[in-house]
Parts: sequence; C-alpha cells; structure tokens
Amino acid sequence: MLFVLVPGAPAWAHNALAEASPDKKATLKEAPAEVKLRFLQKLDPEYTIIAVSDSTKRKVAASEPKVDGTTGVITIEEELANGVYTVAYQVVSTDGHTVKGSYEFTVANPTATAAPSEAPSEEPSVAPTTEAPSVAPTLAEKSDESDSSGSTLIGIIVGVVVAVAAVAGFLFLKRRKA
Amino acid sequence: MAGLGTAAAAGYLAAAPAATPSVAAVPVADFQDIGTGIIPFHGERQSGITDEPPAHGSFVALTLAKGTDRAALGRMMRLLTDDAVRLTRGEPALGDTDAELARHPARLTVTFGFGPGLYRAAGLESPVADLPVFSIDRLQDRWSGGDLVMQICADDALTVTHTQRMLIKDARPFGAVRWVQRGFRRSAGVHKAGFTQRNVFGQLDGTANPKDAEMAAAVWNADHSTQLVVRRVRTDIETWDLLSVGDKENSTGRRMESGAPLTGEAEHDEPDFERTDSTGLPVMPNFSHVTRAHVTDPKLKILRRPFNYDEAPDAQGRPDSGLVFASYQADIVRQYLPIQRRLAEKDLLNEWTTPIGSAVFAVPPGCAEGGWIGERVLA
Repeated sequence: MLFVLVPGAPAWAHNALAEASPDKKATLKEAPAEVKLRFLQKLDPEYTIIAVSDSTKRKVAASEPKVDGTTGVITIEEELANGVYTVAYQVVSTDGHTVKGSYEFTVANPTATAAPSEAPSEEPSVAPTTEAPSVAPTLAEKSDESDSSGSTLIGIIVGVVVAVAAVAGFLFLKRRKA
Repeated sequence: MAGLGTAAAAGYLAAAPAATPSVAAVPVADFQDIGTGIIPFHGERQSGITDEPPAHGSFVALTLAKGTDRAALGRMMRLLTDDAVRLTRGEPALGDTDAELARHPARLTVTFGFGPGLYRAAGLESPVADLPVFSIDRLQDRWSGGDLVMQICADDALTVTHTQRMLIKDARPFGAVRWVQRGFRRSAGVHKAGFTQRNVFGQLDGTANPKDAEMAAAVWNADHSTQLVVRRVRTDIETWDLLSVGDKENSTGRRMESGAPLTGEAEHDEPDFERTDSTGLPVMPNFSHVTRAHVTDPKLKILRRPFNYDEAPDAQGRPDSGLVFASYQADIVRQYLPIQRRLAEKDLLNEWTTPIGSAVFAVPPGCAEGGWIGERVLA
C-alpha cells in the first residue's frame, strides 16, 4: 500500500555534485594528483566529462575520467604550479538531462617558487577564443561555483517531506477508520 | 443532447471571431504542377538515390520463395523493371487495372536493391552482409532482413500506393512480402529545393550529407553500383518531450532552430570540436551525436536519405514514431560501419532512439532502354 504514496520518477531528479576533492574554493598547500567528484546519482562513464584548467584557461593534462558508481576521478598528469584552477564537469542524469558545473580551487605551495608563467606558447589556438554564443544558459551566472542543478537538493528535501507527510496522513486516517 | 451541443458549439464559433483578433489569410501560390514531374528511370545509375528525396517513400522488402533460381530472378527483374519504366513515365503498368492512377508520376522513382539472400539464391557471392548486432539494437524480425527491396518514392502518396500495388502484384509469384516501411518528409512546395528536412524530434536531419563533387565519391562505385542500409529507428517521444531545448541540443551538438553546431552560427558551419567554454568544457560535448558521427573524408561519408514514420499511437496516446533511416554509400563496411560503431559505443541521442529494424542491400547499376535492373548480376 505504501508505495502508492511514494512519488514516482519526479521531474527534478537531476544529478548534482555532492562532494568534491579538492573541495570547492579550497586552498591547497600541495598540488593535487587527482580530482575526485562524487554525485548524487550513478554516472555513466560514456557521458562524464571532467576538465581542469588554469587561470589562463589552458587545459591541464589529465586522464580520462574513471567512473565508479557515483564517483568520477581524473588523474592530473602534470605538476600544478601555484595559482587558481577551475574544475568543470558535465554529466548526464539518468533521465538524459545534462548537468554542467564548475568551481575553483587554489594551489599555494609555500615551498614552490613563482606562480604559473604566462600562457604556454605551443598552443595559441586554445587561448581565450571569442565567447561561444551561448553556453548552457545555466552557466551564465558568474560566481566561482555554478551548478545547473542547484535546486536539486531542495527538491529532494521537499519531496521527502511531502512523502513523509502523506504517509503519516494516510496512517492517521487508516487508524481513525479502524 | 447532441443538438444542444451542436448549437452551443455553433454559438461559440460564431462568437469567436469577434472576441479574438483575426489572423490574416495568406493565399497559397497559384497551382504548382507537381503531379507531372518525371525523373528518368534509365541511366548508368539507378534513380531515387542522389536526387532530391520527395515527400513520400515506401520500402518494400521481399523474401524469395524457395527454389527461386537465377533464371527466375531474371524473369522477375525484367517484369519489375518494365513496371517501373512505365509507371515512372506516368503510364500504366501492363495489365494495370486502375490505369488512371498512373497518370501523375509526381517525380516517381523505383530503386531496386538485392539482399544477401538474393545472391545466395542466384548462386553468387553477395557484396553485402548483414550488419553486426550493435549493443543499442533491439531488432525485430518484422522490420529486418529481406532478399529484394523496392524503394518507391514520389511527391504524392497515392502514386506511391499505386506503384507499390503494381510492383507487389508482379513480384508475388517469386516471393512473399517481408516488410513494408512507409515514411514521409516535408511535402513539395513547403521548402525550396535543397532544404534539410526535419525529423519527428524536430531536428534538422541530413545537414552533413555529401554535396556536389563529394557525392560521387561517397555514393558510387566505378561500376555505378552502390549499397543501401535501411534501419527502422524508433524514437521515444515521451521522454524526449521532458527535455529542455538545451538538453536536446547537447544530445546532438546542434541548435534545434538553426541546425548550427553549438560552436557556430549557421547550419553548415563546420563544428569546432576543440572549442571550450569559459570553464574549460568542450562546447561540443564529446558524447553528442554530431561529435561521434562526424567524418570529413568524402570517401567515408554516407548519404542519408531517411523518411519519418508515424503510425497510430497506442491506447495511452504514446506515439509510434521514428525514422526509416536509409543511407546510400559505395561500401557499407568502409563507410557506414565505422560511423555506426562509434554511435553505438557512445552517443547521447541513443537515450531516446532505438534501432528496431535493420537490412542491407546491394544496389546494382541502372540500365539502358530495353535493359533490366540486375542484368549484369543475373544474366
């Protein structure tokens, strides 16, 4: 009987980032060797992109994401100099909705020498091109953290509250009838 | 009650024009004669391949009767060729019981393809082999295989119907109808020639087709033969409808409205797979349909010539729609297979599409007046 009251596949069941390492806005004394992102839903390895870029928007050399359940990991394949880095991800929810997001972390190794030098000369084509006409509109907001499914957690909480209330109400009515 | 209802409806209709701002009528251009359009049947190459696809298409696949040998196949192809020659000219087929239905060819083409089974029956080696099964396939026998295919295309559905009836009538002594897949594109006059049609998902479909000089390299072999893949691809409209426009565009890598790649402005802009957005993500996701299907070498391109299908929805109103995907290429193994392998391995669009039918055919060269299709193979 109970299952009737539990909401079915709700429209807001989009995936979202749950936990990140390095953490959002973290300042690290040591350059990280990997980026590990845990999401609310299982990831599909085929549809998971994780990218790290430095403050000059140069893409940091890294492995393809290794996916295990809800977690995706990329191994960073170069030594990160001191500076600000952007982690960006694009994953696909079980309903096919694409979720994009990004956040920054800082490497500040006291023993390291200078901050990263200017953009590498070998790949000028990667230098900031003209802004794409419209990247997913959800990315438009210019904060240091953006997640196109920010409302997901709230949605889940609301859903759970509603479900619990419904069950309670149902049981209450049933008891009164009896 | 019925009378009351009608009266109420009439009252409503009468009142409506006053309440809502009227839309100005747009007169349709004067009568445009589409019915008399003719595409010549005879030639080195068969028609219905590189010519502009018309509004209606029907693919009829036959299973040959047991014991149909090479001589019988020759008789069958002489008969069917004769029907096609007459009907594409706007003349009735021999013994046509409804001759007046043949008078509007409407750019009718009839294209014949030979499946692996026809070559087996003729004791010959087949140039085509069934496709391997892909992980995304949910193939049904009722839409798969076939020893002979007849692709009937015209700008008029009744012309297709009549032609199909005549051809099947004459093919019947040699085999059974295995499947028929009918489909449609935009009608003649809706767009200018050369437009890219939209499929039932609303996507522009066929943007990357080879053009002009590239066409020959992609489609024709030196002997003027080509090869055909027919796949029935069901679309899951119900779940597709839940997506935002942005999600739909991410799945293909193209804008819904313009068909432009996510890195471009116009439909035919070359996609830039290296471009990243301000956060470092590729603008064309690596799992999008266009990223996965993209080929630049004309010798590796395929000519998509698909038709939409839309059968009756089920009792719950769920559509039975999709694509009668048809592609022509000189060599299925060289051109079609690598693309399909990549798409089966990774393509976000797979979430909403399912191949439920699959068939391959070798398309023999055309014939001169007095000749017949397949004469060089079967004679």
